[in-house]
Amino acid sequence: MLRTTAAWRISIWTTLAFALGTGLAFAIVYLLVAQTIRERSDAWLSGEAEVLAQVSADTPNDHLYSRIVGEVAELATRELPDERNSQGQRLNSVFFLAERLDGNESPLWVGPGSSEVFRKAIQGANLGQGTPRSINVEGWPTPFRVVARPIEGRETTIYLGLSNQADMHVLHNLTGRFLQLWGGTALLGFLISYTSARRTLLRVEHITETVARIGSEDLGKRLPESTNRDEISRLAQTFNLMLDRIQSSVNQLRSVTDAVAHDLKSPVTSIRGTLESALCCEPNEKWRDSVGEAIENLDRLLSLLNTTLDLAEAEAGALRLDRGPVELAGIIRKFLDLYQPAMDERHHEVVADLEAHMVVNVDLSLLSRMVSNLLENELAHLPPGCCIHIRLRSQQGSAELVIEDNGPGFPPEIASRAFERYVKGNQSPGHGLGLAFVDAVVKAHGGAVQISERPAGGAVITLSLPAIILQPVLT
Amino acid sequence: MRLLIVEDDVAIRGFLERALSEAGYQVDTAKDATGGELMALEGIYDAFIIDLGLPDMDGLNLIARCRAQGGSAPVLILSARRSVDERVKGLEQGGDDYLTKPFALAELLARLRNLLRRPSPAHNDPVRLEAADLQLDLVRHEARRGDQLLQLTPQEFSLLEYLCRNAGRVVTRTMILDHVWRMRVDPATNVVDVHIYRLRSKIDPVGHAPLIQTIRGVGYMLEKA
Repeated sequence: MLRTTAAWRISIWTTLAFALGTGLAFAIVYLLVAQTIRERSDAWLSGEAEVLAQVSADTPNDHLYSRIVGEVAELATRELPDERNSQGQRLNSVFFLAERLDGNESPLWVGPGSSEVFRKAIQGANLGQGTPRSINVEGWPTPFRVVARPIEGRETTIYLGLSNQADMHVLHNLTGRFLQLWGGTALLGFLISYTSARRTLLRVEHITETVARIGSEDLGKRLPESTNRDEISRLAQTFNLMLDRIQSSVNQLRSVTDAVAHDLKSPVTSIRGTLESALCCEPNEKWRDSVGEAIENLDRLLSLLNTTLDLAEAEAGALRLDRGPVELAGIIRKFLDLYQPAMDERHHEVVADLEAHMVVNVDLSLLSRMVSNLLENELAHLPPGCCIHIRLRSQQGSAELVIEDNGPGFPPEIASRAFERYVKGNQSPGHGLGLAFVDAVVKAHGGAVQISERPAGGAVITLSLPAIILQPVLT
Repeated sequence: MRLLIVEDDVAIRGFLERALSEAGYQVDTAKDATGGELMALEGIYDAFIIDLGLPDMDGLNLIARCRAQGGSAPVLILSARRSVDERVKGLEQGGDDYLTKPFALAELLARLRNLLRRPSPAHNDPVRLEAADLQLDLVRHEARRGDQLLQLTPQEFSLLEYLCRNAGRVVTRTMILDHVWRMRVDPATNVVDVHIYRLRSKIDPVGHAPLIQTIRGVGYMLEKA
């Protein structure tokens, strides 16, 4: 539910972009700092190695050699700041190793602990000469930068190693803090962007709800326009302009249909009236018959005209609904009573299964015409002796009316567009407006109609209308 | 009985005047609201027939103005609008009536009779109805043709009762639907006809001329004698 909202998606993407950006910036800073630290240690290492090599070369190789070189090395290691961690261990470690190539004498070692692990690490690393390299030493958390320096004429190589743990420690601390801050900021950013996006989009949602509520009945309603002219209030203004246009075209359509109705009805009324009064005084049976037929045709023309105008209005959403609560089962039963003899005459069997107490808020006269259209449709299209099943049920807040027959069903050529105007089967006697009218009326009331084929053959028309009361009323 | 017709369409005015005169009313006509109002204020009319769409004033305004000046005669409103608006329906509750154009003359006459009869409704509410050799007992819901008891469904009885009450006059299908089924809809197919055929088959003995006559283009009529 939450994940389908635009506010959620917008804030996720902003947060992602933000986190990615800050992460990248930190990574660059981290790499720069780490490189600076390494360059600094490397410069120190190279310098010290040079000094030590000089001292080693200049000191005569007697019994004092180890002591002198050892002292110098010791002094060199002291040049580093004496930083200690919380457990009191020295953070910066330096070692010095002078090793004879032939391995005759034991190597000279100045550094923490035994020289063995360092020697093993150096031998495994295959150090080049002059350039410092990182070497992992067993038992030490950070690698040592080690430089190798051969001493000419002595067959000896000295190694100087530095583990700049204090600086690395600072860098690690920095990274840890950054990660915490980073997470916090991303979360805060997400919350802020979600809240602001949600606030903005709630206004859009409000517009959507209001516009959905503005139906054909209350086209006069408008969205509230706030004073600040941001995108959303412009959206509301655009909607209002659009509603103005819709309202004016609906009004135009209504006045046109009213004018057509009025202009046609006045002459028809006088023609019909004149014919009818002629009928009363005309003794000749043959004439009376002709006049009667003329009146009947006039009535058919009028019903066609009325339905066409109603349809035009309904399809434009301009149908005027005079709504009131109607108990569906009652009204349908009344129509079934009315149509029963006509059904009997065609030997149709009508089975009604109507759930009572279902009240819909509809225009009664439109609903009546709709129900009679549905029944007329059955009468007109079924061959004699069919069975018509009419069911009325409550279905998820709606009243569902299903009319099912075991006739030939809808001809395939019209099945997909049976609700369009003037669409009818070749054999159909009607004018093709009946179902179009049903569809228009149901839609005007916020319902839906669909037709389908019964598996065993026959047509099914399913109609649903939003109900206002579904439960039996307790009195 | 004296009627005033206020209608701007000359053809409609003409045939209404003719038909109503033939039906035994004294008829005056006006072609607009101004003229109609002046005539109405004379206070000599028993009923008015007023068109809603008058050129100079809305028919409803005319009625309101007449009422405001003390006119109390019932009004039959003629409307060419397809949907009948609230105000017109309100008038119907106030004792007046409306008809949408085009209307059947038979229905206009029936509604007019109804409007004019209104002051004493309870008086002539019979318990028995008779037409030709047909007798209806409205209390026991029994119908007899001669001395033959007819087997009718409640619906058929209501239909026959309505025809009997209007014996000798033409009733339209719309009127039958309105009074017997309480539906104000236009009959599209022959639903009402089928009911009449059924009723005929029950009330007419074999070989007899039908008691209920079909008036083609208009409706049905039960013979009075």
